[in-house]
Amino acid sequence: MTSATTSSAAAISHEEEVRRLERREGWKRRLPILPALIFTIVVTQIPFLFTLFYSLTEWRLDKPDPRKFIGVDNYASLPGDKFFRDAAWVSVQMTVMAVLFSLIVGTLLAILLDRKFFGQGLIRTLLITPFLVMPVVAGFMWKTQMFNATFGVINWVLNLFGFDSIEFATRFPLASVVVVLVWQWSPFMMLIVLAGLQGQDQSVLEAARVDGATTWGSFRQITLPQLRPFLELGTLLGAIYLIQVYDHIEVIVGGQPGAKNLPFYIAQRSIGGGNRFGLASSYSIIVVIASIIIANIGLRVLSNLLEDDS
Amino acid sequence: MAEVRYEAASRLYPGAEEPAVNKLNLDIADGELLVLVGPSGCGKSTALRMLAGLETVTSGSVHINGVDVTLKPPQDRDIAMVFQNYALYPSMTVAQNMGFALKQAKVPKAEREAQVREAARILDLTEYLDRKPKNLSGGQRQRVAMGRAIVRKPQVFLMDEPLSNLDAKLRVQTRTELVDLQARLGVTTVYVTHDQVEAMTMGDRVAVLKFGELQQVDAPRTLYSAPANKFVAGFIGSPAMNLLDAEDVDGAPGIAGAAIPLEESVLSQLKSQDLDQVAVGVRPEHLTLGTTGIEGEVTVVEELGSESFVHVTVSHRGEPTTLVVRDRGETETGRGDRVKVDFGGPIHVFGSDGLRVEA
Ligand SMILES: Nc1ncnc2c1ncn2[C@@H]1O[C@H](COP(=O)(O)OP(=O)(O)OP(=O)(O)O)[C@@H](O)[C@H]1O
Ligand SMILES: [Mg+2]
Repeated sequence: MTSATTSSAAAISHEEEVRRLERREGWKRRLPILPALIFTIVVTQIPFLFTLFYSLTEWRLDKPDPRKFIGVDNYASLPGDKFFRDAAWVSVQMTVMAVLFSLIVGTLLAILLDRKFFGQGLIRTLLITPFLVMPVVAGFMWKTQMFNATFGVINWVLNLFGFDSIEFATRFPLASVVVVLVWQWSPFMMLIVLAGLQGQDQSVLEAARVDGATTWGSFRQITLPQLRPFLELGTLLGAIYLIQVYDHIEVIVGGQPGAKNLPFYIAQRSIGGGNRFGLASSYSIIVVIASIIIANIGLRVLSNLLEDDS
Repeated sequence: MAEVRYEAASRLYPGAEEPAVNKLNLDIADGELLVLVGPSGCGKSTALRMLAGLETVTSGSVHINGVDVTLKPPQDRDIAMVFQNYALYPSMTVAQNMGFALKQAKVPKAEREAQVREAARILDLTEYLDRKPKNLSGGQRQRVAMGRAIVRKPQVFLMDEPLSNLDAKLRVQTRTELVDLQARLGVTTVYVTHDQVEAMTMGDRVAVLKFGELQQVDAPRTLYSAPANKFVAGFIGSPAMNLLDAEDVDGAPGIAGAAIPLEESVLSQLKSQDLDQVAVGVRPEHLTLGTTGIEGEVTVVEELGSESFVHVTVSHRGEPTTLVVRDRGETETGRGDRVKVDFGGPIHVFGSDGLRVEA
């Protein structure tokens, strides 16, 4: 009897000991990432909550009452706001086109790079450089050296063939910005797709050759489905970044209509002279929500496109 | 259905000094199962891939059914290949994997499905047809890889170590199933393995390669009973043949001071050779433990139940040398026992050039 009691007491303390060790093990794992986690929360989530709060207020620098809580009034006014609707539509077009075209160009470049040839490393580095150029610099380069009606390379070529010069940034503001975005983002997509291509099992491709598949056939039926997660990743990251584009627009087309996206409009309506911080905050919240939705739709569409045809 | 011929076919990899396959000459009959065997890196896979068209033939030629296919791409050779890692198409279901080749050949869907179902029935894969490869066990994947090959009804099957990823028991079982399937389909098959037991049990004939060179091609029994050279003698058979450099015992080759009983014709051929350079080989089952013969000490007994392999250390050419003797439980021996080893069967003699000396 006595011995049974002692042994069960020992068992309990043993269990407690195990639990204590497990807790300690858990902290050992959590502790190293804690600073990063706290930092992330401080610089992203707290500002987001502030923005959310501001978006529920009327806050204008030109009014005596600094901040008045007005509920969802800012949001309610958005559907009737023509400028907002235009900016939102530009955002959608710009993001979708830039992501789609950079994905296509990036994939083509990746396929060309995914074979051994002399100078491969150098070419790869050269192809990556556009991604390393600062957005403002990229904008200036294209505006002054490519698009410019008098000095631009593109117009020089057009003139060679007897066409008149075109002021691209004014005539086609949205397309101009998209071209520069695609130029900058294709290398990023290329790197992601290249990682996917190089991770492929070569013997699977050999099996396809033995099974009689053509080059295009094995690309479409075998490589592309295997690239799917990589294309999805590229779409997701590209969409999240490209929906926030500001610098290129500022530099290339300035405040002209036709290429003002939401971030640009947000800046204009707040620090850019509009001074309506509460309203601008509500736009920001919309952009965040839109980013999430666009990224999701993008993924969905892509998945359907690549769904195996059975 | 077709016969296959390698004609002095070589493959020199760019940058390599020695060819991975060197002037391979091989005739494979229609419907035959030929096994290519050899140690790792001897060029088996390379030889097979040359036949598949996945590896350039740098000199010589390869023929299928009398047609020179040396320069044809894989898709024009009408062959099916089973890869060592199976190389299944990861994004396709089992049925799509098996129907892939037919789809490329534009076989109508209904016919395709019927053929896939038939192959799945033969291989017992019917209930897995809608699964993706990653949700299958290793043995099932192996069968899908087989299925992908047989659905096509190709001229030749090529198999590169298709069983090496299976566990020992499944490997033995699949081995016999594969032989049976091949015989039923009657498709010429080239089968690569590094496992000599697999080679012996499966092949109609076995081709032994070493450093890219063909050593011998023969029926398993011939390979075992009349190895063409020292390498084949040591490579084929498990446990391996006792293969020793002979010592000179009164002008005849001997082991541990005892002359070996050899036929007169063999002895006369050895007359001109330096006996120190001659090698003699005896399989463990052709040695007996008894009251006469070479004296030695038992160091290890490998007990297998039905038989045991007794390792006896004898003094040969002044050094301790181990002879492995098969014992069928006639004698009770243990480590440390002093025993006598006698010859009880054919003895192989290899001249100073390493080649077999025929009686
Ligand atoms: N792509 C290559 N480039 C250069 N050398 C190669 C290449 N592939 C194989 N080799 C060399 O050719 C030789 C034969 O290789 P192979 O793959 O045919 O051997 P194997 O007999 O199949 O061996 P294992 O049993 O290990 O698969 C090896 O020495 C190998 O190093
Ligand atoms: Mg191999």
